[in-house]
Amino acid sequence: MTRGRAWLLLTPALALLVVAFLVPVGMMVPTSFRPYVPLVGITGGFTATHYVKLVTDLYYLEIIARTLVLGLTVTLLTLVIGYPVAFFLARTTSRWRPWLTILVVFPLLLNLVVRTFGWIALLAQNGLVNQALQALGLVEAPVKLLFNFAGLLIGLTHIFLPFMVLVLIGAIQAIPRDVEDAARVLGASWLATFVRVTLPLSAPGILSGGILVFVLTISALVTPRLLGGPTYRVMSTLIFDEFLQRLNWPAGSAQALLLTALVLLLILLSGRLAGRAGVQA
Amino acid sequence: MSAARVRAWLLRAWVTLVFGFLLLPVVVVVLASLSRTSYLTVPPQGLTLRWFAAVLQDAEYLRAIAFSVVLAVIATLGSLVAGVGASYALLRHRVPGASVVSALLNAPLIFPGVVIGVALLQFYALLHVNGTFLGLALAHMVITVPYVVRAVTASLQGVDAEIENAARVLGASGPVAFFTITLPLARPGIVAGALFSFIVSFDNVPVSIFLLGASHMTLPVKIFTAIEYGVDPSIAAISTMLIIVTGLGLAAAERWIGFHRFV
Repeated sequence: MTRGRAWLLLTPALALLVVAFLVPVGMMVPTSFRPYVPLVGITGGFTATHYVKLVTDLYYLEIIARTLVLGLTVTLLTLVIGYPVAFFLARTTSRWRPWLTILVVFPLLLNLVVRTFGWIALLAQNGLVNQALQALGLVEAPVKLLFNFAGLLIGLTHIFLPFMVLVLIGAIQAIPRDVEDAARVLGASWLATFVRVTLPLSAPGILSGGILVFVLTISALVTPRLLGGPTYRVMSTLIFDEFLQRLNWPAGSAQALLLTALVLLLILLSGRLAGRAGVQA
Repeated sequence: MSAARVRAWLLRAWVTLVFGFLLLPVVVVVLASLSRTSYLTVPPQGLTLRWFAAVLQDAEYLRAIAFSVVLAVIATLGSLVAGVGASYALLRHRVPGASVVSALLNAPLIFPGVVIGVALLQFYALLHVNGTFLGLALAHMVITVPYVVRAVTASLQGVDAEIENAARVLGASGPVAFFTITLPLARPGIVAGALFSFIVSFDNVPVSIFLLGASHMTLPVKIFTAIEYGVDPSIAAISTMLIIVTGLGLAAAERWIGFHRFV
């Protein structure tokens, strides 16, 4: 009786996700093995050429490498910039704390296109950043900050910093203050306490925040497209062009499945790591 | 000053700097929307509200706003029906394979949006339903349902199952107990989930851009396309409107349900 009711309650959600998510994603697998003839389209038959190209063609390898390097750099930057902020927000007793947290959430909820647009205005040749750099005498001529690695790095770090901060706040709040106090009482310096007690105890948060930011960065489409333009490509913008401009759906499906595989691999790996950390703790 | 005071001061300075970094593009967009020039420039040269007037008189923008609102409302209603029921079932009943079901419900959260977009583009094309409103709405439900499930589950966990059992003992039927006791107690989570869902749907580009028919346009896709054609202050003006609406909405949500507990 109750089991029947449980499945009844689950049916709408399951039906939705199977029909409009699992099946469509699964159907990309056969498409990715179909030959594609320019000007003709998708033809019958079987070929692994789209996958072979992804791992042998330097053009694709460069885009994949760029995407992964970008993901790693953004993850490290958000961690270094965000950790002190999360530490502050987790520990402050200020009555403004909920509102300060809301201030971290605000950029997250603000339309992504709008935030990226702000960075276009900031990073353009005559934008505010270049104006400031020139006024300070740091550079003579405007620096190119759009349509290259620097632009994507700045924009994506800004976009994903709130995620890192929010995950870290939770992890740091979970650390019992007694442990730190004990270390200090036993004579450890502030730095030693931080490096040997606080930081290791927040490792689960660093791991999950890092995985989250990495996965979001390599999946991001809007920011890389607007700050990278049509020529400086990452994996997601490559998929975008393959489907909407070149209309080579088989190649696009292979690229989409590779991106998905990378994301799933990372999630699985983090699950393993978290599991192992849990056993030790 | 003691070392501890210096550290506290340095930390505050860093936090202030990072908040500045977080809000910088927002401030820049607002400033750019006020410029008299027809090209984008910060700081603004002269002050005017004419770009706001231009956007509000632009039929294409107005249609895009209306379409985005309708789509987000329908997607949110769908996600609530699917998500509230699923959260309740997973939390209160022993469901075989619950962990698999739960993983599937949360999968769209970490799945690249662009992959969901292209997968549905292909799938709908095959079924000859590409460019339909229903297809787009279903896609938006897929990407919003995890937010409802997360918020509602968080809220339901704080509701003692014994309260519902007490109602059952006192003679209420299962559905009556659910609708009159459990649902009202889980209201903060449902409101938060609905808000998240609305925002996620209203903001989406990576899924929408592949599924929109020729006659429809959502607001973010419209802005996205406009930026690709070239930036001008009217884009800053519509962006500023979104900043104001988001800010007011968030402040109201914080007052109403303590929104920060759900993030």
